[in-house]
Amino acid sequence: MEFGFTEEQLMFRETVYKFAKNEIVDLCEQADLKSEFSFELWKKLGAMGLLGLPFPEELGGSGADVVTCCVAAEALGHAGVDQGHLLALGAHTYLGTDTLYKNGTDAQRKKYIPKLASGEWICCMGLTEPGSGSDAASMATTAVKKGNKWILNGSKTFITNAPICNVCIVFATVDKNLGNAGITAFIVENTFPGFSTGEPFHKMGVRASTTSEVFFDNCEVPEENLLGEVGKGFSYTHETLSWDRSALLAPFVGGLKYMMEEAAKYATERVQFGKPIKSFQAIQHKLADIKVTMEAAKLLVYQVAHDKDTNKPLNHRHLSTAKAFVGDMGLQAASEAIQVFGGYGYIHDYPIERMLRDAKLAQIGGGTSEIQRFIISRLLSFG
Amino acid sequence: MNYDYNEEQWMIAGNFKNFCQKELEPRAHQLDTASKEEVDVLIKENIKKLASIGYLGMLHEEKYGGSNNDLVSHVIASEQVAKACASSFLSAGASCGLFGMPLKLFGSEEQKQKYLPGIIKGDIIGAFGLTEPEAGSDAVSIKTTAVKKGDKWVLNGSKTFITNATICDVALIFAYNDKAAGPGGGVTCFIVDKGTKGFNVGKAFDKMGFRGSPTAEIFLEDCEVPESAVLGEVGKGFIQAMKTLEYGRIGMATVSLGIASACLDYANAYSKERKVFGKFLNRFQEISFKLADMVILIDTARLLIFQAAWAKETEQADAQILASCAKLFASESAVKISNMAVQIFGGYGYIKEFPVERLYRDAKLGDIGEGTSEIQRVLIARDVLSKFAS
Repeated sequence: MEFGFTEEQLMFRETVYKFAKNEIVDLCEQADLKSEFSFELWKKLGAMGLLGLPFPEELGGSGADVVTCCVAAEALGHAGVDQGHLLALGAHTYLGTDTLYKNGTDAQRKKYIPKLASGEWICCMGLTEPGSGSDAASMATTAVKKGNKWILNGSKTFITNAPICNVCIVFATVDKNLGNAGITAFIVENTFPGFSTGEPFHKMGVRASTTSEVFFDNCEVPEENLLGEVGKGFSYTHETLSWDRSALLAPFVGGLKYMMEEAAKYATERVQFGKPIKSFQAIQHKLADIKVTMEAAKLLVYQVAHDKDTNKPLNHRHLSTAKAFVGDMGLQAASEAIQVFGGYGYIHDYPIERMLRDAKLAQIGGGTSEIQRFIISRLLSFG
Repeated sequence: MNYDYNEEQWMIAGNFKNFCQKELEPRAHQLDTASKEEVDVLIKENIKKLASIGYLGMLHEEKYGGSNNDLVSHVIASEQVAKACASSFLSAGASCGLFGMPLKLFGSEEQKQKYLPGIIKGDIIGAFGLTEPEAGSDAVSIKTTAVKKGDKWVLNGSKTFITNATICDVALIFAYNDKAAGPGGGVTCFIVDKGTKGFNVGKAFDKMGFRGSPTAEIFLEDCEVPESAVLGEVGKGFIQAMKTLEYGRIGMATVSLGIASACLDYANAYSKERKVFGKFLNRFQEISFKLADMVILIDTARLLIFQAAWAKETEQADAQILASCAKLFASESAVKISNMAVQIFGGYGYIKEFPVERLYRDAKLGDIGEGTSEIQRVLIARDVLSKFAS
């Protein structure tokens, strides 16, 4: 057992952290305030190589392992980058592009991955539907083969990056009677006839990421854009599950570090009753609780990353524990951090206000905390 | 980064689980409800049993009969011991850990030869005498004194909450030999054998939990010990105590983990057999989500403890704080978890025939022993503030 990072990972973390502090964080506040995705920020992430980390070098990536991808995501969160842009990154790289990479043909990879890894194109993944959230197998979007085309009909919702996407990895059923075994994946470009997206939702947090519905109205998809095999789509979503509980949670671990450090600094500067508020134990104890939550969250997230790097079969206990803990305890920690800032924590001038709104997403997106408990309790009842 | 057990660790986990469930768990209820006299007999037998599978020697060198395992492996074994019988873990740990580790780390060859083989075999039992009536978390305030008289040291004072006091053959006693020098250079640790004139033990306390592990006061009245009783060097006692407590924190975190893990097993099994409103308990989300909460807290606590053990083993700079984080989280989780377990058992959880009643009482010690939760938070906050706000 070994919980340290390699020299290389530590250096990379430092590089990403400094890059984000110098070039990224200043763009975040306005983006959050206006609910605007920043293409300027995105291009910087792309130029730094952070949008294509896990892909091979010949496709424009850097061949990073999962732990290293998490190190980068954590460093960005730690620097104070808003969770909106980091969610956009996560959905683009780990949910969308990696699904294409893992299951695509050589031709599909060559056509799409370089553009996506550089950030020139933006990817999203379309799984959730209005009537099918945590219960993904009940999806209603259909795909019918007609000549050399697939015709898609239906709609998706809560799709991160949809309004700005060039490519959408869409899951649809070729036969509802088959249940999971009918679910099939397609690579759909935003210019394909019959593809459209709705107005971006007004969200509580992660506001710089764009989220909307996606509509398929006799959407025509050329047969070479079938991703993987017919009926195998559901198994492809499993791969995204372990990304979702590692590289997409890692920014929240970084966020916890940020909150801890900012709250510690503020508690030192802020004077009440003639002394810095850090000298009050009630404040000290909040800092301690945030630190413990951060350490625990980190261990759980990197455990999933290590499982994935060592090609272990999906461990649902690890996955769900990481998700539920980061979601529930991360929100609590964010609330404590705001409490240290008092009234100043409640106004937008301090980034800490955004952190609480952002943290709430981790309890919901990618499977609610309740679903995680449901999964864990089911494992117990069969165990 | 590597979260996997190695082959030996898998073996340790399996062997200890089997042994402890067979040899300790069936006696845990008896030990909990026994009279003080019976407890002293039963707990010695349990320590001997644990010695028989090498538990007491895991962290000790081979030349004294130990097996020189790493700390993570020790945690893996300890979880199983604590899960089967928390009292046995505490008494065994006080002997081979709180007494044995300072001997290992700071003792002379002669001192090690004299005590460690017996400790590891379970033939003699050790205790650790630091805490005093007015010096718990605030250990620098101890009042016990040591005065040099010719070639002897004379100890005066009293110690309290000393695990194993009534059954120990030997105890470490921390005393000020030079109050003016302060804790950094004025405290010395003495190895005091039972039977030394002026070394007296009080009656075992009536505790809420851990009733199978005797705890009592030790009184030192003009207790004379030879120069050879000084552990390591004169004046180094406080540092020795703090180094030992770094292991102690990981130990207390692990006992909390074991208790919590036992609670989960009992409650999960009960939820599958008990029917209400025509359905098994675990069909209700009020119950099954409590079980899931237990899993989340237990698995997280275990990782924090593993991390702390790894950090201590590899001498990471923040090892001490990681131990505090693990201890704080694991102990508070065990209190919550034991409460949930009693709740799942309902009325049956409130009576002594069911083990969760004992586990609920045992869990509470985790919040208090080896530095209260409050002290852990103070230490952690101090660390955070020193790093990011200086």
